[in-house]
Amino acid sequence: MSLLSFTYGIFKVLGYDLATFVTFLIDSIVFLLVASVAVAGTIYFFRKYMARVQLRIGPNRVGKFGTLQLIADAFKLFGKESILPRLRDDLPYKVAPVLVFIGLLVAFSILPYGSLYYIGDIFISNSGVGIILLFAVLAIMPIGELLAGISSHNKYSLIGALRAVAKDISFEVPMMLSVLAIVVMASARTTNSLNISSVVTSELLPYGILEPLGLFVFFISMIARASYTPFDMGESESELVSGYSTEYTGMRFGLFYLGMFGTILLGSFIVSLFYLGGYNGPYSSDIGLIYLLIKAVIVVVISFTVWLAMPRIRIDKFVNFGWKYLLPISVINLVLAGFLTIYLGW
Amino acid sequence: MSEWVELNMGPQHPSTHGVLRLKIKVEGEIVREVEPVIGYLHRNAEKLCENTFFCDNLLYFDRMDYVGAPGMEVGYLEAAEKLLGVPPPERAIWIRTIMAELSRIASHLVWLGAYGLDLGMLTPFFYAFDLREKIMTIFVEASGSRLLTNYCSIGGVYQDFNEKIVQEIEDFINIAPSKIEELNSLFVKNDIFISRTKGIGYMSKEVAIDYGVTGPMLRASGVEYDVRKAEPYLAYSKVNFEIPVSSKGDNLARFLVRIEEMRQSVKIISQAIKKLPDGPFFNPKAKKSMMIRMRGEGEVYARTEASKGEFGVYIVGDGGVKPYRVRVRSPSLKNLSVLREIGKNVMIADLVAISGTTDLVFGEIDR
Amino acid sequence: MEFQPGEEKGKDGRKIIKVKKEDLLSTLESLKKKGFNHLSLITGVDRKDYIEVVYHLHSFESNEYVVVKTVTYNSKVPSVTHLWKSADWDEREEYDLMGIEFEGHPDLRRLFLPQNWVGHPLRKDYNMKNVQYINMDEDGEDYATFDPGDGW
Repeated sequence: MSLLSFTYGIFKVLGYDLATFVTFLIDSIVFLLVASVAVAGTIYFFRKYMARVQLRIGPNRVGKFGTLQLIADAFKLFGKESILPRLRDDLPYKVAPVLVFIGLLVAFSILPYGSLYYIGDIFISNSGVGIILLFAVLAIMPIGELLAGISSHNKYSLIGALRAVAKDISFEVPMMLSVLAIVVMASARTTNSLNISSVVTSELLPYGILEPLGLFVFFISMIARASYTPFDMGESESELVSGYSTEYTGMRFGLFYLGMFGTILLGSFIVSLFYLGGYNGPYSSDIGLIYLLIKAVIVVVISFTVWLAMPRIRIDKFVNFGWKYLLPISVINLVLAGFLTIYLGW
Repeated sequence: MSEWVELNMGPQHPSTHGVLRLKIKVEGEIVREVEPVIGYLHRNAEKLCENTFFCDNLLYFDRMDYVGAPGMEVGYLEAAEKLLGVPPPERAIWIRTIMAELSRIASHLVWLGAYGLDLGMLTPFFYAFDLREKIMTIFVEASGSRLLTNYCSIGGVYQDFNEKIVQEIEDFINIAPSKIEELNSLFVKNDIFISRTKGIGYMSKEVAIDYGVTGPMLRASGVEYDVRKAEPYLAYSKVNFEIPVSSKGDNLARFLVRIEEMRQSVKIISQAIKKLPDGPFFNPKAKKSMMIRMRGEGEVYARTEASKGEFGVYIVGDGGVKPYRVRVRSPSLKNLSVLREIGKNVMIADLVAISGTTDLVFGEIDR
Repeated sequence: MEFQPGEEKGKDGRKIIKVKKEDLLSTLESLKKKGFNHLSLITGVDRKDYIEVVYHLHSFESNEYVVVKTVTYNSKVPSVTHLWKSADWDEREEYDLMGIEFEGHPDLRRLFLPQNWVGHPLRKDYNMKNVQYINMDEDGEDYATFDPGDGW
């Protein structure tokens, strides 16, 4: 029983139209809260982990072990004055951070999260074309970055936006090709190979083992999507001050910041769903969510370590890398996936 | 014809260490022209020195290269003591050697951490400052101050090394080599770091000499020149060390030369602490009541190897208690001026990487 | 003290070559040909009625050091930027702070102070009591405003 039908069962007395409306409203709010808490938790965890790696203590003043530090920071961000540049293009300037964040939130609502004891399967939208929807939604984020960079009327922002777009183009194609390989493999096992939950449920052997190349390409693309070191050329702070978000302050900047951390979490979920077996495992009908969370946290830690240890790669080298290495690798991966599916029947 | 966009990097910018302002013209991502604009920290220390007693001028030199203050003090005292005729005793010379080398390591560690930040690496910064903290405790124990030590003084040093300081220095010598190796491996084992530095920012030997570049930057371009060997001062003629030289002339070479210099400095300190002689640490001719009455005449130029390069102090005295003219050759100024040449036709990201290897400290450039 | 061309040894044991202003360029050129390829420092010393200009030269090959000295009465000296590029910023600095005009310098502007600063601070007759405020204009260039009052 999914969360949707569970809520619908409570409100059934209101009649079909109203009950559907209320169900989706409540589910969305619950989901928004859970997603926000999850993102906040990631940030707290990241800060503690980052501090340990860097011989520091990390947040330790507000609340027990500094757990409330993030709430304090959020209040600070909300309370900050939002300074608007005089020469901005008003509408795109204000829409851009919202676009980045909305794309992220919608993407979260498309993923299946496995099941937990009494709640059952947790998902908001179990679309038949979930994979296409997911990456379509993710494609909104670069538009937000581009708008932010162009509308700020700042040379640093502009260069940052151009870099971000150049970067996005060079990894999106390999990323989509490696996802296509997943769909190819899943099509042999399930009739509904574009539905994320049926793809994951059919994944008895993790696709990461069958397609290590795809995992490699997708992991790198995920880091690049989240745009942190080594792929943070778009907002490289030592070169372009803060790239496309230079002119943003207060909560508008906070949305970019949350978007970045949220993308790491989202990317880890996607990697663990598609390549690491997702919520599959013994007794997965009861504790599938826990499997998923453990896998996602491991991926988050790996990507944080990459963040902390790596210097920033130069934009032209990354574009080269994207077109000359990632793209051929993902094509090879796709061919291998077809071969495995048709001739070996894996 | 494509259009060049003018871009101001600095004076408030995360990559310009201090208040450097780079007026750059970019064509897309490629930097076509660089013009450093300086003077935002200008205090005219040279004029201030003319109005202060010889002994008090030391304060202004502390504030030049503030990440390695004792090295600057040594440079000033080399000139001032020759002018005033109050040579320091043997023990003070060795103590100064140790302090100068410690300050060289401290300065290089700041550079190392900041260079990581320039390239987008966050973590090595903290590891570098962790090691630097050990040097700071030595400075605090010796002088009572972390940054602007004001430890050396005319005719000797402010106070003698006690057993605790010697113990701390020995502890430092024990842990430093492994920590430096750790720092080194954080960088050079990273392929992206190599790709950001190898072959980038090439400076030929001729350009380096023409622009008056000195210090690790010059040595990375293949000129074996170190004032510690060319014109030994303090106790450098009595210790064994090598000058690291590389002929590559790129960012990586400058990086490796500085790392090797830190290793050599540890070697010098470990020899000096063993050879530290007993005896007075202060020339009685320069006791406190005599300080402001010391007169100097004539002119003296002394050069020392500071962490950034050849640091020269030129003092002209007219027989008064204050210097008539003080002129400072600041190595960073010359090292920065070459950025006009090597910062051309590179990408913006590389310009940051190149200006990072010049190791700028603005207290010293602007004076 | 009268200025006499010739050679002497300084208090720090360095060789000092004193030349007339007219012979400065030819002396420096011949020194550069001898291998003094490192122009370490250019210094101006304000001796009230004339200005001494001191060049510190070093040779990497032979590890020799030589100091060349000249005087100027009208604060004008030929520029040596065509011999050593290192002289560029040194001369700009000396022009900025000491007011020596280097004839033939390609870009003789102030190095540290704003372009319209009044006076040259290292001159002995510079009035330190006068206050000048530094501001920034629309393009980010600095300019100084002079306070004609008594200052501090």
